[in-house]
Amino acid sequence: MKTLVLGLGNPILSDDSVGIKAAQEIGKRLNNPQITVAETSAAGLSLLDSIAGYDKAIIIDAVQTKNGKAGQIYRMGPEDFSYTKRFSSPHQINLITALEVGKMLGLVMPQKITIFAVEAKNVTNFGEQCTPKVEQAIPKVVEMVLQELNAENP
Amino acid sequence: MKKIMIDPITRLEGHGKIAIFLNDDGGVANVYFQVPELRGFEKFSEGRPAEDMPQITQRICGVCPEAHHMASTKALDDLFHAEPTSTAKKLRELLYSSFYVTDHTTHFYILAGPDFVMGPDAAPAERNILGVIAKVGLELGGAVIRTRHENHWVIQTIGGRPIHPCFGLPGGVSKAINEEERAKIEEIAKASVEFAKLSLKVFNDVVLKNKEYLDMILSDTFTHRTYYMGLVDKNNKVNFYDGKVRVVDPEGKEFCKYAPREYLEHIAEHVEPWTYLKFPYLKKVGWKGFVDGKDSGVYRATPLSRLNAADGMATPLAQEEYEKMYSTLGGKPIHHTLATHWARLIELLYAAERMLELSRDPEITSPNIRNIPTATPDEGVGIVEAPRGTLTHHYITDEKGVIKKCNLIVGTTNNYAAFYMSVKRAAEDLIKPGKKITEGLLNRIEMAWRPYDLCLACATHALPGQLPLEVVIYDAQGNELQRLSQGIS
Repeated sequence: MKTLVLGLGNPILSDDSVGIKAAQEIGKRLNNPQITVAETSAAGLSLLDSIAGYDKAIIIDAVQTKNGKAGQIYRMGPEDFSYTKRFSSPHQINLITALEVGKMLGLVMPQKITIFAVEAKNVTNFGEQCTPKVEQAIPKVVEMVLQELNAENP
Repeated sequence: MKKIMIDPITRLEGHGKIAIFLNDDGGVANVYFQVPELRGFEKFSEGRPAEDMPQITQRICGVCPEAHHMASTKALDDLFHAEPTSTAKKLRELLYSSFYVTDHTTHFYILAGPDFVMGPDAAPAERNILGVIAKVGLELGGAVIRTRHENHWVIQTIGGRPIHPCFGLPGGVSKAINEEERAKIEEIAKASVEFAKLSLKVFNDVVLKNKEYLDMILSDTFTHRTYYMGLVDKNNKVNFYDGKVRVVDPEGKEFCKYAPREYLEHIAEHVEPWTYLKFPYLKKVGWKGFVDGKDSGVYRATPLSRLNAADGMATPLAQEEYEKMYSTLGGKPIHHTLATHWARLIELLYAAERMLELSRDPEITSPNIRNIPTATPDEGVGIVEAPRGTLTHHYITDEKGVIKKCNLIVGTTNNYAAFYMSVKRAAEDLIKPGKKITEGLLNRIEMAWRPYDLCLACATHALPGQLPLEVVIYDAQGNELQRLSQGIS
């Protein structure tokens, strides 16, 4: 069972780096040849390249919701975004469409995808640090991902 | 006053907001264009070693990191007074050509394709990449994915890392390629040439053979007579990696040609109170407002602009297509914005042919990949053609090479003024008193700006789909009359 843990974001755009920081921390604490930890700043079709070939994928990213509080963590599946399936996102195409394209073309796509999203406060100022509440969420989301992996790979 | 909001711009990189204000009769009163600006990059760079800039600047954008890496590396050559070796230049251009193949492929099939292959009036549920693949066939869909995948391997092999290369150094590159790698790159280049030819055939069959589309391309709604900018080689042929910046006037005559160091003599920026954006214009013509023509300093830097600003393409098959485009659309320069999609495919073919040439160059596997800098750094400017326009990086450092000042003119920025004019013109022509505002009509307004492929506040990775395209129409008192939402089923 090949599993991918993918941190998504921009490492120099404040809270947008939260997924990458969490993935780096997870990478330090794992030693399982079945689990690959990676990070990427790409989106859209490039995501397809990153996740193709794995049986399971866990994606960690920043999110901004209407009434969200900075540092709040959400655990979601692709179905939570199903209403966006036919919508072409600003990033070329979104995750759901990328998955559908992959399936349509017969690529091996993960059977299960779990998304951990951390509510971001600042994604418009360049900086290597997250804002305090988002920084505090990093160890929490790391634990959540490790628990998820432990439950699936006992 | 009635207000129409299109938010965000779908199928573009980054979020944008376009507000179209109607007058009491239902015609267009005014148009505004705003984007959330990323802030603080100059401050972020100050105090850092200049040699880190190719790594840092490529994080500005999640879409074209390779372009920033390359402009930054060239700025370092200039800053450290270190001329790269011949092999280093060729390796950089080889990687860059491969990057162009991926980027132009993505644009045509994912961003432009739905408008033409599915048609502007197709239901939003079909007007996307899935609809395109369903219509053109799984085989071509597979070729799109394969071309991107194989060229990412080329970028990784030459650049040391996928997507974010780490090979650019002042005076050269950090690693050579071996014969085995070269041979594989040659095979990928050959396949890319075939793929580019096939893409031009798709364009020919789907767009050029359709009279309605051809009329749309040639219509006034999608036409502006502006200046055009692009990098050219010593023979005035299109070049993405190196050369001088050439600008031609709306009649196609050379207006100026400048080396990277001279850019501030030619480009200035105009500020408007209603947006954070600055609008670059030609200094020697002057800012005359959002108008086209020879007296207005508004210029464009797009694939079509590059072809307009040059005398031709440096590779044979692309040159044939170049001649075909100009003879079909009535000679040079072409002012029809929608022809940018055609120009982009001609550039795709050029990039693939150039890849093939470079992969067969006897010097490409030479280990002579770097001249070590020995001079004291002071100031450097590097310019490349990013897929979305001329990209300029300018650094000033102290004698230790620590950044004191950094200025970037990002590809997209060049086109802000023309973009705004294109949206305004399309809105004015298409939204008329008494005419029902349909999704097809709004999509035609979007088609006016899609060719520019603006890369707005790039690289934010908030999860997808949070802000679907919404068009809200208000009456003169500000009450909501009608709400059109695209893509929420």
